[in-house]
Amino acid sequence: MNQSLKIADTVRCDVLIIGGGGAGLRCAAEILERRPGTSIIAATKVSHVQKSHTTTAQGGVAAVDPRDTSDSNEFHMFDTWKGSDCMADQVVIKQVIDSAWEQILWLENHGMHFSRDENGRLARRTFGGHTINYGKGIAYRVKFEADRTGKGIMDTGWWETLKAGTTYLGQTLATELIIEDGRCLGAVLYEAKKGQFTVVLARATIVTTGGLGQIYQVTSNCRGNTGDGPALALQAGLPVMDLEAVQFHPTGIVGPGILASEALRGEGGILRNKDGEAFMERYAPTNKDLAPRDIVSRAIETEIREGRGVLNPDHNIWHVWIDIRHLPDYVHDVKLPEISGFFKKFVNIDPKKELAPVRPTCHYQMGGIPTDRWGRVQSDQETYVHGLYAIGECAAASLHGFNRLGTNSLLELITMGRIVGEKVVEWLGDSEQGRDLKHPPDPGAKSLERFSAYLEPGGDQKAGQVREEMRALMTEKVGVFRTGEGLSQAIEGLKELKSRADKSPLVQRGLVMNQELMERFELDNLLAVAMIIAQGALERKESRGGHFREDYPVRSDEFNYHTLAWMEEFGEVTWGRRPIDRCLFEEKTCQYVEGFDFIERKY
Amino acid sequence: MAQSYQLVLKIQRYDPTQKSSWVQEYRLEAGRIQRFTDLFRKINEEQDPSLAWSSSCEHGQCGSCAVVVNGRPVLACELLVENAVNDFGTTTFTVGPITVAPVVRDLVVDLALAYERVHQAKPFLIQPAAKDPGGNEYIVQLKQLDDYADATRCLNCFCCATACITSQKNFLGPNAVMAGVVRVMDPRETATEERLKLIYSEKGVYRCHTSQACSHVCPKEIDVAHYMALAKSGRLKAGQTD
Repeated sequence: MNQSLKIADTVRCDVLIIGGGGAGLRCAAEILERRPGTSIIAATKVSHVQKSHTTTAQGGVAAVDPRDTSDSNEFHMFDTWKGSDCMADQVVIKQVIDSAWEQILWLENHGMHFSRDENGRLARRTFGGHTINYGKGIAYRVKFEADRTGKGIMDTGWWETLKAGTTYLGQTLATELIIEDGRCLGAVLYEAKKGQFTVVLARATIVTTGGLGQIYQVTSNCRGNTGDGPALALQAGLPVMDLEAVQFHPTGIVGPGILASEALRGEGGILRNKDGEAFMERYAPTNKDLAPRDIVSRAIETEIREGRGVLNPDHNIWHVWIDIRHLPDYVHDVKLPEISGFFKKFVNIDPKKELAPVRPTCHYQMGGIPTDRWGRVQSDQETYVHGLYAIGECAAASLHGFNRLGTNSLLELITMGRIVGEKVVEWLGDSEQGRDLKHPPDPGAKSLERFSAYLEPGGDQKAGQVREEMRALMTEKVGVFRTGEGLSQAIEGLKELKSRADKSPLVQRGLVMNQELMERFELDNLLAVAMIIAQGALERKESRGGHFREDYPVRSDEFNYHTLAWMEEFGEVTWGRRPIDRCLFEEKTCQYVEGFDFIERKY
Repeated sequence: MAQSYQLVLKIQRYDPTQKSSWVQEYRLEAGRIQRFTDLFRKINEEQDPSLAWSSSCEHGQCGSCAVVVNGRPVLACELLVENAVNDFGTTTFTVGPITVAPVVRDLVVDLALAYERVHQAKPFLIQPAAKDPGGNEYIVQLKQLDDYADATRCLNCFCCATACITSQKNFLGPNAVMAGVVRVMDPRETATEERLKLIYSEKGVYRCHTSQACSHVCPKEIDVAHYMALAKSGRLKAGQTD
C-alpha cells in the first residue's frame, strides 16, 4: 500500500450530509429548526454549497395555491402519475403534492425572492405537462423566481443552514459508506483541500449527491454529476433502482449541453438537417416540431445516424439545426431573450441571422438509491439500512417513475427534504440506535486500498481518454435509442473500458487538490452506473418514459415494477423487483379513480 | 473567420507540496467556440493531467470557474476562444487564479475562505417582519422588488472582489456588501439597524473607491457599483426611488 495514505482524522457529528444541494440543505434546515444545536456536516464536491447543481434549474416549482379554485392537488397528482408513465409510487406523489404549497410558503417566508404579480403576491405560470381537469385545460400552478428558481431554492437552503449553524466541507469526496450490521455509522471523506482522508462518524447519514449526466457526451448536468451516490450504494452492497430511466431533452445547445427550451419550437422554431430540410414533417406530419420530447429526440438522432447531421468541429459533436431566423424581433428580444442570449454566449452566433446547433442532451436521472417515502435507504425488498437516508436526484422514492414532469424536481427537493428532516429528528431523539454510536473496526480501509491502487503506477492507459470513450459509447448505444444488440455491445465495451481504467497511472501524486485522483475516482463511479443503466435497459424489454427500445417500442404490463440492481463485482449484476405503490387507485379516495390506473401516456 | 486558432496559454501554477510557484506555457490548437474550461480540459487530456482548475455548471450559473485572463477576472466557462482573441487582440493569454483567497493548487483557490465575508454580511433574513395574518406569503410590491432583484442574481463568483481596487484585507468586498444591501431593501427584513452597522463599519462601503470596476467585470452584468452608491447615499428603502 502507498505509504502516504492513512486516515488522518476521525470526527463525530449528529448528521452527515453527502452533497449540499437543494435536497440536502432543505433537509438540514428542517433538522435544525426542529432540533436546534444538532451538529451537521455537509460535505460537497463543489467549492461552496451555493455552487451546487440545484442552482442551475430555471423553470420553477409546481405547487397548487389553495386559493386557486380552478386547480387542485388531485389534478397535479394525476399529471405526475401520467407523466411518470405509470411508474411513480403513488404514496410519494400524494405526500409530495399535498405538502407542496406549505413548502413554497416556507421558502418565501425565509427570504427567497420569488417573482411577484401586480398585487405583490407570488406570480404563477404554465409549464409542459401541467393541466387542470385531468388533461383538459392548462394549469397555472408553477411558482418561480424569474429564470433562476433553482438558485433561489439553493440560496434559501444555504441561508437557513448558515443562520442555524452548519459546517460546510467544500471540495470533498465521500469515498465509502461505513455500514456495520445493517446500521450506517457515517462515511469516509477525501478532503481535497487538506489532502487527507477523514472518517466521519454520524448518527444519521444522508446521501444527496445529485445526478449522473456526465456518463453522456452532451448533458445539462454539472461537471461533478458523476453518479457518486448510487455508486457509493453499490459499493456498499446496496441496490439501486430504475437507473435505466434517463431523461433526454431534444434540444441541448452544442457546447455547454444546456437546454434550449421547448418555447423555441412553441414560438415557431423549425428543426433542420444538414440539407436544410425541415425533417420533423416526416416523423410527425401533424404536430411536426411540436411533437412530444421523446419523438423529437428520436427524430434528431435518426437524422444524425442516417448521415444528415452536422459535425461541430470544436466540440466534435454531431447535431442538427434549429432555425429561428424567421421569427419576429419581438419574439427574439422579448419572449426568448435568455435562449437567444445562450446561443450568442456559447456558440457565438446571432440566431436572428444564423442557424443554431442543437442535439438531444442528457438532463435527468429518474432512478437512484431506492428509499421508502421517508427517505430511508433500502437494503433489499424488505429491510432498510438504519441511519441512512437518500433524497433528491440520487434517490428514487419514487416521485418521477420513468419520466419526470418539468418543475417537479425542485418540488421533490423541498418536500422530501423537509419530510426526511422530520424523520431524521425522530431517529436522533427516540431511537436507542440513533443515540448510540459504536466505533467501527478499521474504518476507511477499503477507501485507502482503492486510492492506493489509483496512485500505484501500472499500465499505459489514460483515464481521460477512457472517460471520453465511455461517454461516446453510452451516447451511441445507451442513449435516446436502445436495442438489445447495441446494449449487449455496450456492456462488453464497458467491461473493456473498466479494465483499461484500472491500467491508467496518474501523473499527479500529491494528495492536496489532486484533481486527477478525484477524476479517477469519479471515472469508476461513472463506469459503475453506466453498467447498471446498460444492463437494466437490456433487461427491460419494453419502452416506457425515458427508456426507449427500438426492438420493443411499446409499454408492457409485464414490466409494471421497479428494477432493483446490485453490483458488488463490476459487471456482475443481480436483479430484484419492487412493486409500484398504487394507493391512490386502491384507496379510491380520488374523484377520478380510473385516472390512477395504468393509463396510456398520450397527450 | 478562422476555424481554429493556435493559442499560447501561460498558466500560473502552484504546487502545495513543494510550496513552489511557476508559470507554465501550453501551446494548443483550439476551435472558435471552445471555452476556456474546454481548453483546461484539453490540456488535462492531451498534455498535462496534473493541471488543477475549478468549475461546476460550466454555463455561467454557479460562478465556480472565475480566473484572471490577461489581467481581467472572467468566468472561464463563458470565455469563447474567438471572443478572447478578438477582445484581447492576441492569441497569447496569461491565466491566473482569482485573488480573493489563498491558492490551493494551480487555478484552484480556497473559495470557502472568500465566502466567509459573504457569511459575515448575513445573506439570510435576520429578523423577519410579522407574517401575513392569513398565513400566506409576504406582500412584496413589484416596484419594491424591481429595486433590488438584479442584485439577487449575484453568484458570488468574486470577479468583482478580484477587480476591486480596495485591499481585500480591509473591505468586505462588493458582493458581500451587496448581499447586505439586498436585505436592507427587502421589506421582509426588520434588522435594518444591525445591517447598516456593518455596511457603515470600518470594513464596509466607505472602503469603496468608486472605481466601478465591479460593475465593469460582473459576468451577470449586475451594476454592483449602483448598489454601493445607494448604500453611500443612504437611499436604501426599496420602492422609493423613481
